[in-house]
Amino acid sequence: MSAAVRHTVFSPGRVWAIARNTFTELVRLKTFHVLLIFGLVVIGNSAFMIRFSFQEEFQVLKDVSLGAMSVFTSLLAIVATALLLPKDVEDRTLYTILAKPVPRFEYLLGKLCGVFLVIGVATLAMAALFWLVLVLRVQWVTASVAREMAGAAPEQVAEAVAKVRAAAFTPGLASGFVIVYLKAALLAALTLFVSTFATSTIFTVVIATAVYFIGHLQGTAREYWLSGAAPSPFSRIFLALVSLVFPDLQLFNLVDDIVAGTAVPPGLFLRTVGMGVVYVSVYLLLAQVVFARKEL
Amino acid sequence: MADVPAVEIRSLTKFFPIPFRRERLVAVRDLSVEVRPGEVYGLLGPNGSGKSTTLKVVLGLVEPTSGSASIFGRDVTEVASRESVGYLPENPYFYKYLTGEETLRFFGRLCGLRGAALRDRCGELLRLVGLEEARDRRLGGYSKGMLQRIGLAQALVQQPRLVVLDEPTAGVDPAGSREIRDLILRLKGDGITVLLCSHLLAQVQEICDRIGIMARGRLVREGPLAELVSIENQTEILVEDADPALLEALREQIARSGARLVGMRKPQTTLERLFLEVTGGLGVSEREGGK
Repeated sequence: MSAAVRHTVFSPGRVWAIARNTFTELVRLKTFHVLLIFGLVVIGNSAFMIRFSFQEEFQVLKDVSLGAMSVFTSLLAIVATALLLPKDVEDRTLYTILAKPVPRFEYLLGKLCGVFLVIGVATLAMAALFWLVLVLRVQWVTASVAREMAGAAPEQVAEAVAKVRAAAFTPGLASGFVIVYLKAALLAALTLFVSTFATSTIFTVVIATAVYFIGHLQGTAREYWLSGAAPSPFSRIFLALVSLVFPDLQLFNLVDDIVAGTAVPPGLFLRTVGMGVVYVSVYLLLAQVVFARKEL
Repeated sequence: MADVPAVEIRSLTKFFPIPFRRERLVAVRDLSVEVRPGEVYGLLGPNGSGKSTTLKVVLGLVEPTSGSASIFGRDVTEVASRESVGYLPENPYFYKYLTGEETLRFFGRLCGLRGAALRDRCGELLRLVGLEEARDRRLGGYSKGMLQRIGLAQALVQQPRLVVLDEPTAGVDPAGSREIRDLILRLKGDGITVLLCSHLLAQVQEICDRIGIMARGRLVREGPLAELVSIENQTEILVEDADPALLEALREQIARSGARLVGMRKPQTTLERLFLEVTGGLGVSEREGGK
């Protein structure tokens, strides 16, 4: 009698249905309004920097834009994810979903994939806007260089224009976008894990934000404590525990090197991506361990 | 296969720990219930009697402390057992940003429906619950009765063999309530098993084949409704257009036979029937304007 397709242990179709629904939810909750603020930051910064030399201008534009991308995608990841699970529990929508043949792991994975989609679209949109502003500024600067060098030899003009382009389009910018995305994805997975045992959205946001700051500071703190002549065994155990529980977000500071124009070795980039994937997987599994036992 | 119970609950006990205290809250204690295929079973009881916890165990939302439950022979801890179940929670909240049709499509996809089959099923259900005209409206603008009806539609999306309804008419006006009651009877007519919890005893009496009454986590009474509510040593006779002389003769005859006349009065219409008569049986679209 049943019209449903026979149940399978894992169904990408069900995960996709939840992910798509989560994406729709976050879009209709107007989370993409954060892009407007990003746009203002990038365009405002660009307009303000006109008075500096083009090297300084491009450096600051990249610095501010990638920094803002990192902050906005991280913020989006934490807030958007924190809204999902506590809200579904509070509204009892979760009952209706889990009363269908949907394993709890698929529900969590679907929610996380939905957030990944939102962060992905936001990262792409921010990257496109940043790129557009950068290209327009490069065109403006090259046009003014060409005007200033109106009487110079064509080789000299070409050399000057090449310098402008080299200062703007530093290699590896695309890798920078990937790292910004991965960091936000890690924070989304972490927030999902926190929301499986948290009692409210506010609590989830507070804990996830605290972990965000600890994650950024723990590397520096570790270096400081271990730099002493003989760190005590207690310090070592404590630091090892902190490293296990909190993600080391300084790994993702690779973006700073990319902005500075330092070539990032492919091995280092791949290792960072690998660490991001490992963190996301570990947090998703931890979330499943807690959520599987949760009484609704 | 016909002998396999639709729902079988065996010696179910559920305790909930109380935070920071050593004692535990007993929600359900040693409950055994069997719901047969094709019947409408009503689980009744005051607030806090353990009805909702029992339903949550059946739906796999809560794990029993001891005992077990199965749906058509499959243990409820198996996710696949919910293939055959449709569930309407009490005061259902769905995603307010989705339209009626999007909601049904979402739940249909969770049950593995795709493409034309899903589209056709959604259209069929929207017609069934009278929400065709509101299919493109977001649920945030639906009235309580409309939410209840879209909830019932999502419960039926995969054509389940068992429908679990928790207070299906809570907060719905009498006409909406009657529609839901008729829908439940229609499900029964189609051979679908219905397990429902309700406080509206008059309605339960109209639609249930068997009932179980719970109090303080235990099943205190169970059986076919007709048996439980009938008064074995009394008989009711309804007569139309009887003149006073005939009624007097009846009284004398009863007195002569040695039986006792308990009462003789004019029957009353129900308040629900009166309400529906004076409101003129308004159609769904006129009655449900939404917010």
